Amino acid sequence: MKIVFDQVDKKFGIVYALKDISFEIDQGEFVFLVGNSGAGKSTLLKLILNQLKPTSGKILLGDIDLSRGNKDDIDNTRRKIGVVFQDYQLIADKTIEENIALILDIVNYPKEKIQSRIDKVIKEVNLGTRRFLFPSQLAGGELQRASLARALAIEPEVILADEPTGNLDPENSWNLVKLLKDINKENNTTIIMTTHNNEIVESMGKRVIKINEGEIVKDYNISKKS
Amino acid sequence: MSPIQTTWHHIRRSPFQSLIAAIAMFLSFFFISTFVIINSGLSTVLKYFETKPEITLFLKDGLDTATVENLQKDLSSYQGIKEITFISKEKALTIYKEQNKNNPLLTEMVTASILPASFEITVSEPEVLEKIYQNYSTKTNIIDEIIYQKDIITSLLNWTNATRQIGFAIIIIIASISFLTMITIIGMKITNRKDEIKISRLLGASSFYVKKPFLLEGIIYGLVGSIFGFLFSFLLALIFQKSINSFFQPIDFINLNINFCLILLFAEIITGTLLGFIASWIGAKRYIKF
Repeated sequence: MKIVFDQVDKKFGIVYALKDISFEIDQGEFVFLVGNSGAGKSTLLKLILNQLKPTSGKILLGDIDLSRGNKDDIDNTRRKIGVVFQDYQLIADKTIEENIALILDIVNYPKEKIQSRIDKVIKEVNLGTRRFLFPSQLAGGELQRASLARALAIEPEVILADEPTGNLDPENSWNLVKLLKDINKENNTTIIMTTHNNEIVESMGKRVIKINEGEIVKDYNISKKS
Repeated sequence: MSPIQTTWHHIRRSPFQSLIAAIAMFLSFFFISTFVIINSGLSTVLKYFETKPEITLFLKDGLDTATVENLQKDLSSYQGIKEITFISKEKALTIYKEQNKNNPLLTEMVTASILPASFEITVSEPEVLEKIYQNYSTKTNIIDEIIYQKDIITSLLNWTNATRQIGFAIIIIIASISFLTMITIIGMKITNRKDEIKISRLLGASSFYVKKPFLLEGIIYGLVGSIFGFLFSFLLALIFQKSINSFFQPIDFINLNINFCLILLFAEIITGTLLGFIASWIGAKRYIKF
């Protein structure tokens, strides 16, 4: 799914959260969004998810114009996007397994395959022993991985990962990034990841969009560190 | 988790709210059932009186056949007469014995000679009743007494209509209260699960997907409320059937025949389900804005 931002502005009151944002991300690209806190990275992801509406400009996800699409189009588009939220957004009174089952139910995943799919993603993010626990019983890093497991479960066309390594120790951070990289390579999944971790960004050799005070200040590819 | 499992989960998570919603529905349907049973009894009473002769002329003893035949001819000449039935002393005795067959003390001393012969008249035009009454009330040489049912029926009809109107008003008020209670409770439940709904919507759940468990919840309250409301009312009717019917004898005021009960139950289940669905739909539409 190609993602296009065309002169997008997002204002909260009189304050610009994003200003004149234009870029294109092709299917299968791995893009890092970097910038200081409050630069507008999360706002940009929320616009892609249609959690926020742009003040002006056009956002295209595949063929769908989010600023004009009807509710069904938006729901269908969301079902193709796996999201790792910064604040996890796991449902408190459902176990990790139930949280994953919920999204599979939402995307109409074949009922008979739901359990095996859950088993697979739980194993991928190494949460086997935690699957029957509730979010309140998990540590920050485990919640981050549970959120990732939910995003991966639907085999999305796009993964939006908002600071997915924020609560992880270095080892788990690298494991998660490696997992995202593998998914990107194997499934041609578009991945947009916000991070403050420069070490990861530089070592991956991917496209980087740098945002500062709501504006894109740099959009570049970096060569992979050996 | 299927929508039914999710709904059950919602009910278990806030049992007191669920209980209030179910009780509100139960009360509505208890009053509806009770009202329908009472109304059916009132209709039976009305029908009983309506099928009785509308005016009865009791004859003096010792009238010869010619006088009685002339009287019958005279009565037949009125416009709007539907039926004139002559009840002889012997027939009157038979009727009396039939009406009091359970009380031998009342029948053993009675003979045909002490009962008056009579004409029972039903009419198609009520105005004629007044004319007959006016004409024959003065003929004391042949008429002993006139029983004019019109007043009884009119008064009964007034009472029945008043009872129906009051009952209907009570039902509307109680049903409205439970309807509003249901909307509020579904609204509270939605507010309690706001985060879950928001997350589900962000993950791509359609508006109907997130509303579905709440709609089912409303339907369940309607279903449970209507079934238990009916059963409780039916049980009370069953308990008091004998004493009430003996008070209204010979009318079966409470008649719980199987067809009547099944139709009432079925109608209440449909109404309850619909009411629960509409209330939860309004609640969901009002509170799920994202």
